[in-house]
Amino acid sequence: MNMNLLFVALIPLMGAALTAWVSRFGRMGSAWTAGGVTLLALLCLLPSAAAPFDGEVIVQRWPWIPGAGLDLAFRLDGLGLLFALMILGIGLLVILYARYYLSEHDCMGRFYAYLLLFMGSMLGIVLAENLILLLIFWEMTSLSSFLLISYWRGREDARTGARMALTVTGLGGLAMLGGFLLLGEIAGSYDLSVILTMGDVIRAHPLYTPMLVLILLGAFTKSAQFPFHFWLPHAMAAPTPVSAYLHSATLVKAGVFLLARLFPVLSGTPEWSWLVGGAGLTTLLIGAWFALFKHDLKGLLAYSTISHLGLITLLFGIGTPLAAVAGVFHIINHATFKASLFMAAGIIDHECGTRDMRRVNGLWRFMPYTGTLAMVAAASMAGVPLFNGFLSKEMFFAETATFFEEHAWGWLLALAVVIAGMLAVAYSLRFIHDVFFNGEPVDLPRTPHEPPFWMKAPVAVLVAICLLVGTLPAYTVAPLLQAASAGVLQAPLPGYDLAIWHGLGLPVLMSILALTGGLLIYAARRPLFALAARLEGRLDARAIYDWALGRTLDFAGAVTRRLDTGSLQRMLLFFMLSALTLGAIGFIGGGSSLTGPRVLLPVDGVSILIALVLVAVAIGTLILHRQRLTALIVMGALGLLIALIFVKFSAPDLALTQLTVEVVTIVLLLLALYFLPQQSPAESSRARRIRDLGVATLAGGGTAALTWAILSRPFDSISGYFLANSVPGGGGANVVNVILVDFRGFDTLGEITVLALAGLGIYAMLRELRLPGPTHDDAGRPWNWDAHPTIMAALARLLLPLALLVSVFIFLRGHNLPGGGFIAGLVTAVALIMQYLTNGVEWTHRRLSHDLHPLIGWGLLIGTLTGLASLIFGYPFLTSTFTHVHWPVVGEFELASAIAFDLGVYLVVVGATLLILVHLGLMHGASHPKQGIQQESR
Amino acid sequence: MLDILLSVLILTGAIFTFIGSLGLARLRDFYTRLHGPTKATTLGVGSLLIASMIHFSAQGEGVSLHEILVTLFLFITAPVSAHLLSKAALHRRVESQAQVPAQIEEAETQTHFAAPTVDRL
Repeated sequence: MNMNLLFVALIPLMGAALTAWVSRFGRMGSAWTAGGVTLLALLCLLPSAAAPFDGEVIVQRWPWIPGAGLDLAFRLDGLGLLFALMILGIGLLVILYARYYLSEHDCMGRFYAYLLLFMGSMLGIVLAENLILLLIFWEMTSLSSFLLISYWRGREDARTGARMALTVTGLGGLAMLGGFLLLGEIAGSYDLSVILTMGDVIRAHPLYTPMLVLILLGAFTKSAQFPFHFWLPHAMAAPTPVSAYLHSATLVKAGVFLLARLFPVLSGTPEWSWLVGGAGLTTLLIGAWFALFKHDLKGLLAYSTISHLGLITLLFGIGTPLAAVAGVFHIINHATFKASLFMAAGIIDHECGTRDMRRVNGLWRFMPYTGTLAMVAAASMAGVPLFNGFLSKEMFFAETATFFEEHAWGWLLALAVVIAGMLAVAYSLRFIHDVFFNGEPVDLPRTPHEPPFWMKAPVAVLVAICLLVGTLPAYTVAPLLQAASAGVLQAPLPGYDLAIWHGLGLPVLMSILALTGGLLIYAARRPLFALAARLEGRLDARAIYDWALGRTLDFAGAVTRRLDTGSLQRMLLFFMLSALTLGAIGFIGGGSSLTGPRVLLPVDGVSILIALVLVAVAIGTLILHRQRLTALIVMGALGLLIALIFVKFSAPDLALTQLTVEVVTIVLLLLALYFLPQQSPAESSRARRIRDLGVATLAGGGTAALTWAILSRPFDSISGYFLANSVPGGGGANVVNVILVDFRGFDTLGEITVLALAGLGIYAMLRELRLPGPTHDDAGRPWNWDAHPTIMAALARLLLPLALLVSVFIFLRGHNLPGGGFIAGLVTAVALIMQYLTNGVEWTHRRLSHDLHPLIGWGLLIGTLTGLASLIFGYPFLTSTFTHVHWPVVGEFELASAIAFDLGVYLVVVGATLLILVHLGLMHGASHPKQGIQQESR
Repeated sequence: MLDILLSVLILTGAIFTFIGSLGLARLRDFYTRLHGPTKATTLGVGSLLIASMIHFSAQGEGVSLHEILVTLFLFITAPVSAHLLSKAALHRRVESQAQVPAQIEEAETQTHFAAPTVDRL
């Protein structure tokens, strides 16, 4: 089966890890790897690239979570192909450019890894066939763009900008999830192939409007449409290659892509026209206005990006097929000229050390080549004839002119877009005139000169595309545009003409008006600048955002403070009372009797005895709870009793686990208790204790009643299946172990992952923690000087091989007899902890590597690889197999593939347990260093 | 013959265990009390284990060696716990019936750092 589309999206994601790893071997390595990965993804795309030109749609599908209707389904039509080519092509240029842009201090591996992550997510969006899959990739772009924008994480503005981008696009993504769910339920399928054919049904559905609003929220936040446009200028704190990539061809285009993707389904209603057209027009005007007055070079480009996105949105909002074609065309053109302009701005910033256009002047003398390239790109942005921006802008003007003729108030739209066109000409002119002419540079940190050739090359490539498309559209962009437009419309294409000259008419008149008007506005810029300076801060969406964010945080803080006063008793009280209330309501409402029909088993003396001792020990712990050490010992007795109960009811695996866990827990608690006073004061008043006693009795009684109710009813569980299939299916007689490593192996994999993460988390918290430990016991005596008595130390060393032998024994027999990786891991951990306790950390670390992370990592890797191995043989994940081998001494031995998985479990358990306990123990050493010195001298 | 041997061993074990327990209950201070149980674990349990070994080996199902492992663990753990208990008692200055040797008494009156000196004994 052909699966190249999956790989197109996956290769950059996997390449991200590779790139990050390769950067260990040198800076340039990661740049080469990133470029190679991108090329590989492009090569993967090529076999399918011809189909969309013939009007075919390729759909490739692998079941992922079939029960939820979620498949790894990818589609390639003209629109997807156009975007994939832009993402990969411009991505390649950005990778080349960034290699020269990043300075020695910036970590290249991290940069390229983030970039590839983002690239993969973006490719996922444009190639997704399933809406939910699209949304997953959509959220991944939000996350990876957050990482990219905050790349210079030391800078406050980068962090703020990244957070803002994540908040706004994340909120939009949430709204979009709601919209997609509505859309999927209306259409009855989440597959785009189905949805795109059901436009009439969807538009007529009563839930159309809420669904439309939710989806548009997602698209508008991503594409920085008014009123969500404010995050984009703040995202300019990112390195310029990131801006060139995110804000020309990719991130912000994702929203526009979505409009184009769902165009056949959602467009054609008044709601669509008003919402999309209105937002587009407002954004177009506001963006163009602010762009003119930004003194920051990238700020100007940011607002012009907002404005152009508004233009594209407006075109989709107009809703005619021809407008959609124009929208697609402008997507292509904007990507090329904006990427080159951002790169040019980056070069200028790189060479001058500043981007302030009040200081960066007259660069023409220093960098004529860059100047020429920037001029061509800016002319394209302004819509000057013979450049590609002109063609799509002309189509745009033609569309608004048609609108003008067909609607009563259409002249307003035409007027607004002409004003926006004038402003675009003015800010493009400003970009060129201010930077390259307009007198001499003012107080630049560096003397500018031409950048290295390969830094200019990407700009030159993009500018060449601008020129070629602008002069020879029919020979260059026409087939791609046709395929992409067909992908958008999903219908026969309207007739259009890509000629440069359409003859005299309203569109040409509008173009001329825009060009001359733009020149006039720029000529009259000084009074306008003064006006803009006075208006500065009046319409600041950021202030509203900050206000809303602040209020939300305050509200959340107030609610949390009200509920969580830091008192554990209070939390437990809430919890118990709500559980009791819900349980009581359920029981009374259910109306069934407490005792079920099952015949009770006879009671034997041993069980009663153990139960009574258990009760006595539990009460004893309660009474002794203020003497912490004593209470702990009593609790240990409780644990041992429970192990006995497991033995009594023939659950030897549980008993072994309970025993070993008990030992580890006691050691852990002892280590922690060291930092606490040995006596805890009485903290509750008498009335409160009586209340707590009442609640505890009720809760305990409720649990007992529930257990009684369940146990006294006949209950068919799945255990019969496990017992019957353990030997034939899993090849092991120990059902518990077979369940752990085979039947529910996926659960176990999840659990050891959680254990590994918990271990690493605790390690991260303890690593730099310094707690002052007491130097005396509570009677004022100093601790004994002899922390590691010789007799115990020597004999514990003798015990180590014995204990390890036991652990190997338990591990190997685990599949058929009580034991297994988990118990063996705990036994090993206990044996090693014995060495730490009796011989000291220094002694043990001299003999045993204290780097436990690889152990955990290997464990997870072995567990996962065992699971993946079954995929290679065509079985589901974690299928196990087994065979019998004859070992020379041991005799007949059963070898199951599950034993490899069990080895993974074993390693993770050993690693995580030791990691936690050893670092808790190391805190002791750090808390009284004097003892450490004494040990050294001994 | 075998039965007589086994009976003697079991009785010896039982007597020593009983004496050990009695000592734990009746002796007057911590250090002498410590003496009792250590006898019970070595001679008492030791005799019982030998009896068990002989008995199960005579059943005709091969030599029974589990008891050696039990003995090994006992021999490793019993001295360690006794040693640690006595160290703790010395550190906490648990009162003893015995006379403090003259040398030590002298040293204790001269210096304030008495505890380590006692400990080093």
